[in-house]
Amino acid sequence: MPIEGAWRRLGPWIDALRRGVASLLELVVEVIRGEPDVDVHTLVTFRAVVDAVVPETPALGEDLGPEHVPGGLAIDLDGFVVTYVDDGFQLGFPHVGPHGNIPLADPIAHVLDAAALALLDREGNAAEPSADRALALLEPGEASARAVEEAAGPFAELSRRDRLRAIGLLDEFDLEVLPSPGELFEFDAGLVGQLVVGFTELIYYGEWDGYDEFTQPPGDRVHPNDPAAVQSWRQTGFPGVADGYAALRGYLGTDDGPLGDGEPWTTIDDDPASPVRITRESGSFRENDYDTSGYEEPHPE
Amino acid sequence: MVASSYDVVVVGAGGDGPVAAWKLAEAGLSVLVLEAGPFYGNEQWPKPSEAPGGEASSSVDDLSGELLDEQFTGREFEMVNQLLFGPADHERGFWFRKFPGDGAILQCAGVGGTTLHYTGCHPRAYPASIDEQGHWPIDYADLLPYYREIEAVCEVTPAPVTAKEELFFRGAAAAGWELLCDLNVTEPGYRPQPNAIRQPDPKLHVDEEYDGPFTYPEVEGDTLALGNIAGNPHPRGAPYEEKAKRASNVSFVPPALETGNVTIRPNAFVTDVRTETALGDTPAATGVTFRDTWSGHTETVGAEVVVLAAGAIETPRLWTNADLPRNEWVGRGLTIHFGDNVMGLWAADDLEGALGEPTVDQHQGQDIAARFDYPGLGMLQTVGTTPGIGAILGFGASASGFAFQNDPAEAPWDTVGRLAGTELKRILSDYRRMLQVLVVSDDRPHRRNGVTVSPVLSDEHGPIPLVNYEPSEGDRRRRDDLAEIAAEILREAGAAHVHRSDSPPTALHLHSTMRMGKVVDEACEAYDVERLFVADHSALANGVGGANPTNTGQALAARTAESIVERYFGG
Repeated sequence: MPIEGAWRRLGPWIDALRRGVASLLELVVEVIRGEPDVDVHTLVTFRAVVDAVVPETPALGEDLGPEHVPGGLAIDLDGFVVTYVDDGFQLGFPHVGPHGNIPLADPIAHVLDAAALALLDREGNAAEPSADRALALLEPGEASARAVEEAAGPFAELSRRDRLRAIGLLDEFDLEVLPSPGELFEFDAGLVGQLVVGFTELIYYGEWDGYDEFTQPPGDRVHPNDPAAVQSWRQTGFPGVADGYAALRGYLGTDDGPLGDGEPWTTIDDDPASPVRITRESGSFRENDYDTSGYEEPHPE
Repeated sequence: MVASSYDVVVVGAGGDGPVAAWKLAEAGLSVLVLEAGPFYGNEQWPKPSEAPGGEASSSVDDLSGELLDEQFTGREFEMVNQLLFGPADHERGFWFRKFPGDGAILQCAGVGGTTLHYTGCHPRAYPASIDEQGHWPIDYADLLPYYREIEAVCEVTPAPVTAKEELFFRGAAAAGWELLCDLNVTEPGYRPQPNAIRQPDPKLHVDEEYDGPFTYPEVEGDTLALGNIAGNPHPRGAPYEEKAKRASNVSFVPPALETGNVTIRPNAFVTDVRTETALGDTPAATGVTFRDTWSGHTETVGAEVVVLAAGAIETPRLWTNADLPRNEWVGRGLTIHFGDNVMGLWAADDLEGALGEPTVDQHQGQDIAARFDYPGLGMLQTVGTTPGIGAILGFGASASGFAFQNDPAEAPWDTVGRLAGTELKRILSDYRRMLQVLVVSDDRPHRRNGVTVSPVLSDEHGPIPLVNYEPSEGDRRRRDDLAEIAAEILREAGAAHVHRSDSPPTALHLHSTMRMGKVVDEACEAYDVERLFVADHSALANGVGGANPTNTGQALAARTAESIVERYFGG
């Protein structure tokens, strides 16, 4: 029904307007009080991202062991992802953000809300949105329920899978950034998906958790290179960065060809005509004559 | 330290620029190499990401293995951030380039360029891609002497076998493919990678039960510690020139500096190519203007010849921003080896049977040491990754949405798509029992694909590059065929579960945006600007068949340097 559809579209916009006014008021209060700029909407939205991409997984704990339970929120990954996307890109505007980096976390959070609204609008969600999900992303006492409710956008109210579904719609959107007054810059919101999924995965499964403080200059960063210090290494079994491994099995080759030399170590292909083996020493490639006259395009352009 | 003019200015010290600089300097010419990123492992810049340091380096004595050890920590997230294309200053983010969809461009800034995180793979082009596909005005045979020269300097040898390569080779043999022993590949089959990484110390054989340190001088050559994507400083403790991976900063920069004729100026972003035009004549290059990325100061330096070696994105960007004549192929014809990832997961018992141990342990060995060639389609290669890079490359993006949204039904893989949430954590809990195969397709140059610049957005170096890439139907089919072959090889190797990413276009290899025969002539001199040459992968006329492009880019740069000497310096 067209009227129902119109109301469904209008409702979120009224909410968005209410939130916009609320956050403006918060900003005024912050400015008056001189408090640091803590954007609850951005915070909650990025927690919702991390909670969807690398969630707490009690079921894996039952299958695989207790080390597989905690997710990104247990190591405050959300805070670093916000820092990372805010510091990640240079657009050559020394007057915008520290060191000319363009702060992207806030506009990304709003793009994620737009994607969530689009998902709801096309009824692509499998579960009903709920403000309780957004509330559950904060620790008790971290912010008032009312503040969260007012600040949480539709993305944070989706179920984990529906958040991923919303991210999947991002290629249809443009991300708009105002680097300076009058200089609107739009880019494909697919970058948002890359940042919030791809980079969240890279940061979580990389060594980041082990640093004292990653934002320090490279020469001052301390990393113990120990799975005890990196939650994801305990989940993957990655033992840390090594200087080397005595893992050499040998070199591939045949008895009568130029590759492979020395004692056979094992046989890969026991075709009696020409067995392929791994040998203890290396041979070399052949500088062969070649003839391309029989070349056929498997898939002509 | 930087003079007001040189015989030749080379723009970019990536994979190819140092090759041209070395050859030109060997011929007795004075050469200035300008590099946008930092110079790692050089005593002029003890903290290259934290302070401006010196101005330029002209001596091989400046090179320091100790500093390289300190700066290349091997930690994946830190090194990805340090090496990817951006300014030296660690407090500043990447230089922005617009790329379609949720794909990405993986290029590095710094002396060594993208060879800083390449995996040392140095195969030649497939001969048919040069002689039969109709893109190249020269023959494969013209490149052969240069391949041999490059392979000798880079010490290219067959890569060693560890567990993950043995697993792949067993699968390929069981699937009925033949072992290839040749450098010039015309038939499909599998073979060890021709890698520009020194072979490992024989004492690292599993039967030797070595338990000593993996540092130099106890161990020489590769130490089988993965880490090439993170820069590879191994063996630790080795002098700069004894590092195992022969990235261009290790293979070509030292001999270039040895000549005494080369100055390398890092942190210098070239923003303009200067030309003069005699009345009614074509313009001729006279020098370049560059900007110091720390201070913001600009300088102009004169040259008899200018060589663009800034890579397949920055070379056409610079050309366009310098307002040089707009040939219709400038920036066009981009190939990126439209790729994919197919991943196998094994049960511990099955691995025990195939390998004699219950894990693949992809974190051991060289990153990419086994390959499958198929001229006309492209290639497959095994990839060992640390978990974070493995996650972002293998699971972080897909053109098919998330795996839970897809039912591959009759497809040769069990799951397809992006992974996140519980599925991601479950699959990565098997990190030590998985192996990724990178699909690298022989995509063809199309005029719609390439590099333009933004009409509205500039950074401190001019309008930013906009990259467009949309594969053709043929490109998709070649990739699909390769993905199916990869799945079959993994199954034959005993994989219990096969996952396909269906990756969005992502640019690991970039080429053919200033193509020979279209923008530059057979000597790689621009048709429309005299004394302006291109010596990087952008001059390649196509994607060399899908084989890793470093060897061909370097061979062509060596050939171009000889042409420059012949044409302008009395040969």
